[in-house]
Amino acid sequence: MISKYWAVFKISWEQGLVYRLNFTLWRVRSVLQLLLVYFIWWTVFQSQTQVFGYTQSSILTYIMVAALIRAVILSSRAIDIAGHINEGSVVNFLVKPLGFVRYYFSRDLADKLLNISFVLVEIILLITILKPPIIYQQDPLILLLFVMSASLGLLLYFAIAFIIGMLAFWVESAWGPLFLVTIILEGFGGGLFPIDILPRILTDTLLLTPFPYLIYFPSRIYLGTLPPAEIIKGFIILSFWILVSLLLILKILDAGLKRYTAYGN
Amino acid sequence: MPPVILVKNLKKYYQVNQKEPGFWGSVKSLFYRKYYEVKAVDNISFEIDEGELVGFIGPNGAGKTTTLKVLSGLLYSTSGQVSVLGFEPFKRQTAFQKQFTLIMGQKNQLWWDLPAWESFILNKEIYEIDDGQFKKVIKQLSEMLEIEDILKIQVRKLSLGQRMKCELVAALLHSPRVLFLDEPTIGLDVVAQKNMRDFIREYNKMFNATIILTSHYMGDVQQLTKRVIIIDQGKIIYDGLLKNIVEKFSSHKVIKVDFESEVEKKQLESIGQVKEFTRLHAVIDVPYNETAKRSGRLLNKFHVADLTIEDPQIEDIIRQVFSSGV
Ligand SMILES: Nc1ncnc2c1ncn2[C@@H]1O[C@H](COP(=O)(O)OP(=O)(O)O)[C@@H](O)[C@H]1O
Ligand SMILES: [Mg+2]
Repeated sequence: MISKYWAVFKISWEQGLVYRLNFTLWRVRSVLQLLLVYFIWWTVFQSQTQVFGYTQSSILTYIMVAALIRAVILSSRAIDIAGHINEGSVVNFLVKPLGFVRYYFSRDLADKLLNISFVLVEIILLITILKPPIIYQQDPLILLLFVMSASLGLLLYFAIAFIIGMLAFWVESAWGPLFLVTIILEGFGGGLFPIDILPRILTDTLLLTPFPYLIYFPSRIYLGTLPPAEIIKGFIILSFWILVSLLLILKILDAGLKRYTAYGN
Repeated sequence: MPPVILVKNLKKYYQVNQKEPGFWGSVKSLFYRKYYEVKAVDNISFEIDEGELVGFIGPNGAGKTTTLKVLSGLLYSTSGQVSVLGFEPFKRQTAFQKQFTLIMGQKNQLWWDLPAWESFILNKEIYEIDDGQFKKVIKQLSEMLEIEDILKIQVRKLSLGQRMKCELVAALLHSPRVLFLDEPTIGLDVVAQKNMRDFIREYNKMFNATIILTSHYMGDVQQLTKRVIIIDQGKIIYDGLLKNIVEKFSSHKVIKVDFESEVEKKQLESIGQVKEFTRLHAVIDVPYNETAKRSGRLLNKFHVADLTIEDPQIEDIIRQVFSSGV
């Protein structure tokens, strides 16, 4: 049973390697973005030692960790489903004994693994060159919580992207909504700055939405300064959103397939 | 034995959202939708037995693809009964999916950027085919199709004919008992078309597979199938032996003749209806029951170098069926 999806994983991995150029460009873009954000913060700290309660080393660490998490989370193939629906190749999966969600998740993981291996190299290189005052988290509990929250965030993003991809069952293009989510994610997901530098009320509101749990939450946990109560609260909200989105996936997939099989494409 | 495929009073009506043109049209359609119905398949019934190879023919838009999609479980029917191998297709049960395949001439399942081999491996896992069986089937199919040496080449670098062959292998790896082939020869050159037909015929014989083949090329049907189902505007207008319909609508035969010396077109008009003429060659339609008499007259009156008598082209017959009904 699992070997089906292992095979999907492997072929996606090979496919990923074929698009080396695209992939390299995507990685270059990520590195440039990381450098940009890094130097903005670097400049901010030239004149002061504390900004919004963050020290230079904690913010630079945050940026690095967030870049790592971005690479893992945003490298999602779930949105491909939209193209597959539009061009009709979704037929290929529908006539085969293959789980729809599991299929795309396997492809997702392959893509993530590819990205992780690259981003690790990039970050190590950057650290060697820039020698930033990075915090090396050594508390095993915090590291465990970090990995857990990042994995759950990965699941959550997959679910969100999958849901948006499935919009193609109803509308011609799902790129609009995806673009919107990407923007929100960059801004309020914590990819560019930790969201708790925003006014308190805004941060608190954002923390009720799913977005900060994708990048901000795990990165913030890594720093090790998040009070236990907030970590627990975060995990509860995160689990809630995952549950909601998984339920939504099933519902929407069901409705989408119903529509698809009723209307054709 | 119950029929492998059973279709009874099947209807498939598409609801189509009538969009008004322009931006305001699409805004309006968000709130207020007008639907109209397309009767793609309109009350058809047929049965197909194990091992039959049936041609499903009709002009574009007749409802062929729609029927195959219903049979494959990709579309819910509007009403009627459909059963394939005893399964209701739309339930998309694994046991059913492991026993049929759908090949659409214009769609592909191979991973474009990788060698076909990789896609085969993937299907092996998806259909849970064991190693021995996998090797056996690959060997058998790739010998039949003569593609042993292209399996490791990136699919995008193959010719359309080669790619289609690989598509076939991918679609047949799990040794399906039922094959739905939707316009499998579309876009192929003459040689590739012939290869494809030969393969389908051979596959049908070798594995006793039940096959429905849709086409709007008569050539496919003429050379492959005994039984044809002719569909037009969602309705079946003929279901039976190809031979019978050819006979029924063969009101005439076609005489093709080469002359030793030049003749005048006028002289030939007493023989029959002259369809083609070039002083040394002519194609003449003659009434069916006068074939012997007229060809005799032709041989007597002219210096004939060569003469053949043929049935009319099947395209012509089908055109007659469509215009006059059966
Ligand atoms: N998804 C769809 N929505 C609305 N109409 C459709 C859809 N698919 C096919 N049709 C219409 O149904 C009819 C039958 O189409 P199809 O089954 O594709 O015919 P064929 O395969 O014989 O060319 C055509 O009139 C076609 O325009
Ligand atoms: Mg068609």
